[in-house]
Amino acid sequence: MRLHGKSVLITGAARGLGRAAAVACAAEGADLTLLDICADLPGVPYPLGTVGQLEHTAALCRDAGAAVLTAAADIRDTRGMREAVTRAEDRFGRIDVAVNNAGIAAPSGKPVHEIEEDEWSLMIDVDLSGAWRLIREVGGAMSARRAGSIVNVASTAGLVGYRHFAGYVAAKHAVVGLTKAAALDFAPTKVRVNAVCPGSVRDDAWAEGRMLAEIARALEVPVHEHEKTFVEAQPMNALIEPEDVAAAIVFLASDESRQITGSVLTVDGGFSIR
Amino acid sequence: MSALLSDPLLHATHCHALRVRSGHSPDPAGRPGLWIEDVSVPARDPLAERRRAIELARPSRDPRRVLLRYADGLSDLIVVAPRGRWDRTALDRLAAGESVAPNDAPPATGTSPAAPAPAWGLGDDGPAAPHVVALDHAGDEESWLTALAVTLRRYDPDTQPVIGTDHGSFTVEPAATLGESKPSSAAGPTLTGLLFDAAALPGEGEGETEYRPCLAPPFPLTVSVLRDSGGLRLRCDHLSGHFSAEIAARFVRHLVHVHQQVLHRPQTPPDDVELLDEAERARTAALGRPPRALTTKPVSVPGALARIVAATPDRIAVTDGGTDLTYRELDERAARSAHGLRARGVGTGDRVGVCLERSAELVVTLLAVLKAGATYVPVDPAHPADRLAHTARDAGLGVVITRLPEFPAVADCVQVTPDELKDEPRGGWPAPAENTSPPTPSPDGAAYVIYTSGSTGRPKGVVVPHRNVIALVDATRDEYGLSEADVWTWFHSSAFDFSVWEIWGCLLTGGRLVVVPYFVSREPDHFRDLLVAEKVTVLSQTPSAFAQLLDVDHTDVSARLVVFGGEPLDTRMLLPWFDRHPERSCRVVNMFGITETTVHVTEQTLTRKLALAATRSVGRALPGWHLYVVDPAGRLLPPGVAGEICVGGAGVALGYLGQEELTGRRFVPDPFTGGTMYRSGDLGRLRPDGRLDHLGRIDSQVKIRGFRVELDEIRSVLLEDPDVRTAAVLVRRDGPAGAATARIDAYVTLSAGGNPAGVRERAAGILPEYMLPATVTALDALPLTANGKLDAAKLPAPAVLRPPRRDTAPAAPAADDLTVSLTEIWSDVLGVPVDPDDDFFELGGNSLFAVRIGAALRARGLPSLRLRELYRHPTVRETVASLRAGQDPSM
Repeated sequence: MRLHGKSVLITGAARGLGRAAAVACAAEGADLTLLDICADLPGVPYPLGTVGQLEHTAALCRDAGAAVLTAAADIRDTRGMREAVTRAEDRFGRIDVAVNNAGIAAPSGKPVHEIEEDEWSLMIDVDLSGAWRLIREVGGAMSARRAGSIVNVASTAGLVGYRHFAGYVAAKHAVVGLTKAAALDFAPTKVRVNAVCPGSVRDDAWAEGRMLAEIARALEVPVHEHEKTFVEAQPMNALIEPEDVAAAIVFLASDESRQITGSVLTVDGGFSIR
Repeated sequence: MSALLSDPLLHATHCHALRVRSGHSPDPAGRPGLWIEDVSVPARDPLAERRRAIELARPSRDPRRVLLRYADGLSDLIVVAPRGRWDRTALDRLAAGESVAPNDAPPATGTSPAAPAPAWGLGDDGPAAPHVVALDHAGDEESWLTALAVTLRRYDPDTQPVIGTDHGSFTVEPAATLGESKPSSAAGPTLTGLLFDAAALPGEGEGETEYRPCLAPPFPLTVSVLRDSGGLRLRCDHLSGHFSAEIAARFVRHLVHVHQQVLHRPQTPPDDVELLDEAERARTAALGRPPRALTTKPVSVPGALARIVAATPDRIAVTDGGTDLTYRELDERAARSAHGLRARGVGTGDRVGVCLERSAELVVTLLAVLKAGATYVPVDPAHPADRLAHTARDAGLGVVITRLPEFPAVADCVQVTPDELKDEPRGGWPAPAENTSPPTPSPDGAAYVIYTSGSTGRPKGVVVPHRNVIALVDATRDEYGLSEADVWTWFHSSAFDFSVWEIWGCLLTGGRLVVVPYFVSREPDHFRDLLVAEKVTVLSQTPSAFAQLLDVDHTDVSARLVVFGGEPLDTRMLLPWFDRHPERSCRVVNMFGITETTVHVTEQTLTRKLALAATRSVGRALPGWHLYVVDPAGRLLPPGVAGEICVGGAGVALGYLGQEELTGRRFVPDPFTGGTMYRSGDLGRLRPDGRLDHLGRIDSQVKIRGFRVELDEIRSVLLEDPDVRTAAVLVRRDGPAGAATARIDAYVTLSAGGNPAGVRERAAGILPEYMLPATVTALDALPLTANGKLDAAKLPAPAVLRPPRRDTAPAAPAADDLTVSLTEIWSDVLGVPVDPDDDFFELGGNSLFAVRIGAALRARGLPSLRLRELYRHPTVRETVASLRAGQDPSM
């Protein structure tokens, strides 16, 4: 087992990539702290994860043999995040791996000059600052222990532009930048920080993901048409499955990647090659 | 900032854990601070086991209680807390749901650093599962400290055992008896630690409890004596980089056996303690036995050869240049010469000297001596006259067969040429005592006497019977597929027992023996040409000789078997061979052997993989041979521990000729088989799989400035340098009493681009200062003896490593008197030419040399020089400037 006995914390764990990553880590022997906002956010035009979904992720992980701690936590809330991290450390003694997965895809779907002030701020607060907040909470203890791996889930939107997604693209580019800067800061203490950049991930029924659907809705195109566009844009002519991204996260979480830090691992079927 | 940041040492090593099993899930209500995990499988499911294992290994700064509730209604309560603040009793109370205040008394001492991995640990970074054994008697902390100290001293007599506990480190000085041994505080790196808490607990036996004294070993090898529902037990946790699981398990068995002696036989002196019990002794002895049994028939060498002659009379037996001898010709010529020997009064059991160049004639002559019922005593014509004379006198030779006109005259020893043997003796020979028809030699009679130059004293003759030679061939024939299809080289001097293997290994399996003349054996390209032209299939070599062959293009050599013997082999040198000759086309076997045990003892087939790992293994004993590793008192040592290699079985020689006292000391009763075993004087260790690591001669350990130094270890380090092809290391002293002048010199052959200064610099990064060679001299080839071994006497004087001049050094001014005097003194003391800007330490200087320089300065009426000044000013020029300054208050 590649993560035997490791304590892994994942944000946005109620569904989608977060759920897939949690189950994959559990299958590799990790114990899990699963966080999710478990509430809707004003300004985000689609429903977010729920308590029921988070508990379902936890149940899947327990079935795989993991000890699981769950908590509702909003990554915009510094105090709430700190409490969740402290609780995880009490339960599991330490956090070996933190996966910054929580994020939103919308409000989006409009040209850059039409974005409202609060729309911009919300996007940056969740997708960029949220990642930084978790790094701040876990980084000190990891540095003191001279061990730890932080995995930031960015996006191909962190590497290239997308029309009418300026806020999301800006935030995800910044997450890649944050990854590199944090990797340098932590390198002397052997704590690693890496980013995963998934391409278009299928809205899998099992994982209850809805990213693709929400992006399609923001662009006001039917989901199947949007899927087709991306299948054609990704040279391997297939959508990414949640398990594909989870596998990359497990690798970066494990000691197999012990000399890898500040790297950006794309899981996009070749989308960003050209 | 997390609270953990202030406590970065939240280590599993500091925590202990208790698991309490309940038949039904207790009501968690009213138990604040209890983490509850529902596990969806029964308690016995592997997944449930994994959950328990992880919880029992998870450290906590404050007490953590986790309740695992299984699908079958059972549950486990797991309590984890730091040992230093919540003791075993507190853990019980926490498990009972009580709240327990921590003991905030500071620990007695800080933690000691962990000792480095010991050689005997055979650490392999493999799985490190703990070993748990049941105990009959708890003893007390003192009895276990004593047992640990005695056991550790047996494993490593040179290191003071320092045993860590939660309340300080201890040692136990050897006392007259075990009972008088008392622990005392000690400092220093700890290899082992003891966690003793075997108090009987209230409520014991009421339910299932499991106590973990540590969640990870606080000391590289941590022994815990504990009591839980499993009873009184000893648990051993170890670091896998320090110890292999097998070694740790054996250590525990030995420790428990020693502890029983501490408890029950306190009057035993520590030196008399038995490390191994009867079963362990038998197990360890069995480890040195080969996996295959030997099938051999009692027959003499001529008797065995007669069957080959009868079976294949017309096959070529010996090729010597343009001359081929068939088996029939060999047999007939030998019979004729044997008759000549008998006619000259040589009788059964007589020793006959043979001093001839390697040739077909020499094979005929050796066989003739055996056919005459006599014992051959080979003497190398290249040996100096006094060695020839010593052998002739010591062996009591009545006849020497030689063509050497200058063979020294020895009383009662007649010289005869091989040609003369073909004819009837003319006058002057004693009448044959018996009839001259060839007798049948007894398999138990001596076949040959070969003189070995031990590290001490004059060469001594080793008497080897026929049956040993037969056993050697029978032990290897099937494994190596030796047959009449093989072509062997005869490379080595007949006075070197490797030739016994070459000659009789070939002829007794019906092969063709190709004589390698002396000058060819010393010219690798000629030798290669011979190997190719004769299509040699079985090549036997000393590693030194093989290294020279590797220097020429050996692609076309078609050997299917290469056998190494005679010297320690550095397997890394084989890589260029494997590049051209993969394992499937040529088997490469290293055989450790000793003249006293008939050429070979062990066999290790080498692979590219083993060569890359630079294995020191010489493998397992040959069928019929067996080995033990013993301590100086002759007791079996456990696997991993280095000691003297003893060899028993089919190869043990009859003894040293005419040296009963020495024979009695080295050829001793085999305690397991009732036969005789030979104490080799070689250092080795058995690995748990029965393979032997050969670690050099016991007497190659030398003391340099009080440090015990293993020259072979230095050599190994040099050989790890990718630029170094071969290496030799020796100690030089200016005089026999000059311990201070003892200095290590290294000689290397380098691959293109290597340089000696770079080699020394790299070694300096690995070896402690006292082991670092003072000089490294590059040679084109290492000089070899007639036997193909390193010839230390022929090594040139070491080259001085001159560091590049510092650019900042001022141009040398005209030397003044003080500079001249100091330069002379340095030169005298260091034994090398010295320049005023040479660095004292780079010239091989050390503190004892510094003292001698100080004495020389005083003798010349010059200002004295303190050691610390020399460290501050390590060149003559700087020293002069410092002496001139004069104001330095420390002067």
